[in-house]
Amino acid sequence: MSYLHLKVPPTRDIRLRPCNAYGGNLENLVCGQKEGCLSNNGRTFAQTTGCQLTLAMGMAASIPNTVVIYHGPVGCGAGSLGLAGQSKMSQQARGNDDAVGRVWMSTNLSEVDIVSGGEKKLEAAILEAERRFRPHAIFIGNTCVPAIIGDDIDNVATRLQDRVNARIIPLHCEGFKTRFVATAYDIVYHGILRYLLGNQHDRKPIIEDEAAQIAYELRRKKTVNLLNVGSMGYVDEVELVRLLNAIGLEANVYPCFTSPEKFVKVKDAALSISICATHDDYFVEHLKEHYGVPYVLNTIPIGTDNVRLWLLDVADFFGIREEALKVIAAEEAELNKALEPLRKSFVGKTAFVSTGEIRAGAQACMLENDLGIKVVGIRAHHYDEFGEIVFENFKDRDDVTINVAANQPFEQVNLLRRLKPDLYLGHGNSNVWAAKQGVPVLPIYGPNNSYLGYKGIFEVASRLERILSNPRWYNTLGETTQLPYKESWYEQDPYLYIRQTTEAA
Amino acid sequence: MSTATDRPPFIEKPRFSCPLGGAMATVGALPKAVAVLHASQGCGGNSNGAIMQAAGHLGSGYCGGASIPASGIGEQQIVFGGAARLEEQLESTLEVIDAELLVVITGCTAEIIGDDIEAVVRSYRAAAADGRPPLVHASAAGFKGNSYFGYDSVLQALFRDYVVPTKEKKKGKINIWGVTPALDVFWEGNLIELRRVLEGIGLTVNTFFTKQDTLADLRGAGDAELNIVVSPVNGVAAAEVFKEVHGVDHFITDLPIGAKATASFLREVAKRLDLDNDEVEAFLVAEKDAYYHFFNRISDSYADLDFQRYLVIVADTTYAVSLASFATHELGWLPKLVAVTDPTDLEERAAVVERFTGGLADPKETVVFEADTSQISTRLFERWPKPDGSKYYQPFSPAFVIGSRLDREFAESIGAGHLSVTYPISNRCVLNRGYAGYRGALHLVEDVISALVVNR
Repeated sequence: MSYLHLKVPPTRDIRLRPCNAYGGNLENLVCGQKEGCLSNNGRTFAQTTGCQLTLAMGMAASIPNTVVIYHGPVGCGAGSLGLAGQSKMSQQARGNDDAVGRVWMSTNLSEVDIVSGGEKKLEAAILEAERRFRPHAIFIGNTCVPAIIGDDIDNVATRLQDRVNARIIPLHCEGFKTRFVATAYDIVYHGILRYLLGNQHDRKPIIEDEAAQIAYELRRKKTVNLLNVGSMGYVDEVELVRLLNAIGLEANVYPCFTSPEKFVKVKDAALSISICATHDDYFVEHLKEHYGVPYVLNTIPIGTDNVRLWLLDVADFFGIREEALKVIAAEEAELNKALEPLRKSFVGKTAFVSTGEIRAGAQACMLENDLGIKVVGIRAHHYDEFGEIVFENFKDRDDVTINVAANQPFEQVNLLRRLKPDLYLGHGNSNVWAAKQGVPVLPIYGPNNSYLGYKGIFEVASRLERILSNPRWYNTLGETTQLPYKESWYEQDPYLYIRQTTEAA
Repeated sequence: MSTATDRPPFIEKPRFSCPLGGAMATVGALPKAVAVLHASQGCGGNSNGAIMQAAGHLGSGYCGGASIPASGIGEQQIVFGGAARLEEQLESTLEVIDAELLVVITGCTAEIIGDDIEAVVRSYRAAAADGRPPLVHASAAGFKGNSYFGYDSVLQALFRDYVVPTKEKKKGKINIWGVTPALDVFWEGNLIELRRVLEGIGLTVNTFFTKQDTLADLRGAGDAELNIVVSPVNGVAAAEVFKEVHGVDHFITDLPIGAKATASFLREVAKRLDLDNDEVEAFLVAEKDAYYHFFNRISDSYADLDFQRYLVIVADTTYAVSLASFATHELGWLPKLVAVTDPTDLEERAAVVERFTGGLADPKETVVFEADTSQISTRLFERWPKPDGSKYYQPFSPAFVIGSRLDREFAESIGAGHLSVTYPISNRCVLNRGYAGYRGALHLVEDVISALVVNR
């Protein structure tokens, strides 16, 4: 599927035709998605959500020694203001003592620029970013306004590249272009592939050393790329690297928190390992096609079932299934012993899960199979062809409500009022609406907590046990807060405002 | 390079969002008012980070955060127009959301493609007989300015289309403007204290954005005797509109912080409104007495530990003026650099510097206009000699930085203490705390001195 010759990769809307509005059972969702009849669904009532710009620039800004430039009006990127210290902490966690917080600039486009164009401002910003910060890379995030008025950011990048040392990487992440914010991952990976990998000269050693070359080749055969986009904190990286080490592999982690000059090695790996197809399918497929690096991306290692599947996928590639099964058996035995005392607090409990499709499916499966918590509903931000494997566990389960929605708390409050779960595991911006209904919440990811691998199962279990042991804050919040919905809304079908259409929305 | 508005070609780490973000924060702070965004799908989500986590962890409130109804303009609407989608969204919002006032906020894409919002609003109002909540439209395209502009834009829409015009004015009734929800992280606490002290001198006070206020108060604000705008920037344009539509004059002043500033604020207001002098002075005496009763508790430690500091202030115009005066006159500190972070038109800058007269020893030397976060340090060392290795170099110490969360790294780099007072503040949680007036200033003293003794 090579799109690297294009300045702008296709949006997910076109490339994967996912669904972003659905309510009902799993079977109709899986069938509808396959037949492509859900991809134009929309809503006649909708609530505000994110855009690909925010996600793309967050991912870009996690890469150290970079400056991100929002080419647009001053508010695009203002979300960064709430995260001033976050990327610094994440870099420090990975041993970067010189970490600085996120460095971003806005070209602050004005009414005058709408008429006369904003390219001059972008030029000034790039040159000043180079002068002030001497970064390895400068990411330009194009926003709605310059896209509409026709600024050519690729041309600006090409024009200025000879004048700055930093690699200039234009990213076309205009918010209005896609309903699926996950397109952002493709956009950033596209930039990395085109500008960080594509233009690297082959690293020919200055002095040929045959022995060193042979040693390197041997090592390379056991070295994998572990992809860590977005949903993975440092503790999760440590856990997954531990498991890969345990079956004899070495792992390099990309792309977040890895300095741009180190990306060249991504081409040398024996295998790319994704933990989430929503993040990585575009990248791993291109790495395979252009550099011959094969990949696995079937599932996310959350819960024993999916950790096993994930690890065996990797092991099978290297022909070391037996070794992996031994590791799995030992790990599962040790984990089960640790989980045993916690399980009694989960007896008879129900949960509702809401997050990205891959994570939602795997986390729900983990709650049921590892902890014995009954899942009553699952919401996914979107649904595409990669969802089938992780949702397998919930096939033919009429007792599990399936909803596809990015945020849209109005549907969620309606569902929760009916389902009355004991626990809610959800994504940022959705959690609070469950909390306001008095339902105790576990955030479904966070950079400082562990969720993946065997340690992740134990940590999620012990956090759930802790939350259940005193849910009073949530209970009080539910009693003392008022949600903005009419009482009549709760009596309506939660999916009343989903528009099913064959035309583009 | 300079444009007609003299905006810099770029801003590094801007300390504000766009008009849409400011408008969302303003609507969200009105009781049971609900914003309906007509903008690209991500505008609301992106702005939420700015007006919630970055505003002292202000919560989503009644219908904020991911609950804000939005039309979500996409490619389809950019090509074919988005008015029909907005109409659909308004109708469905009425069915789902319990609102007493709707404010349509338009963003960049809606305004570039030229959707006829006024026609949508007209047809909504034409159907208003069935008891629908009133609807106003605030224009908040990102390219029109920053988040403070969004505050003004919402107020202007309300003054034109929501506040009921009346010829009768009530003696002693005033409205307060200029305190911007979320963008002044201490807005609600500030408004509560301003109301308290103005009521203390016998006035009837409307603050609009606190728990105590109602939409009926806003609707009936047209019979006030005076609008008081406690900012030389924010709310000024809206006050002009108020004057034009409702014939109410305004008084523009600075946000008073501390006993001295608050006393002179109240005296000026009293003079404007011809209040009984003795009553006002009696209130001031009692307040001053109570204020120094608490304030002077720091005296032993101040005297023993030498709490005087060189000071850098990094703030928007409103806070910069007030903080400089408070630091100089009440804390006895030495502001050596005041970085004003608003984008200010070149021709207005002299007037802004003028406002610091009395609050700073040498405003011309001390005040700079600097929107770029990493350049604050550069501006300081243009004014203070850099370390030169000499034995008797006089360091910029002991020093303190009052600014935003973004200035903490700068403070650390010069070994100075730091307190986040101005937007953005993601490293503090703010509930009903305010820094204005008498009681607010005591909080400010608590917070500043606490930062000095935190390691004891």
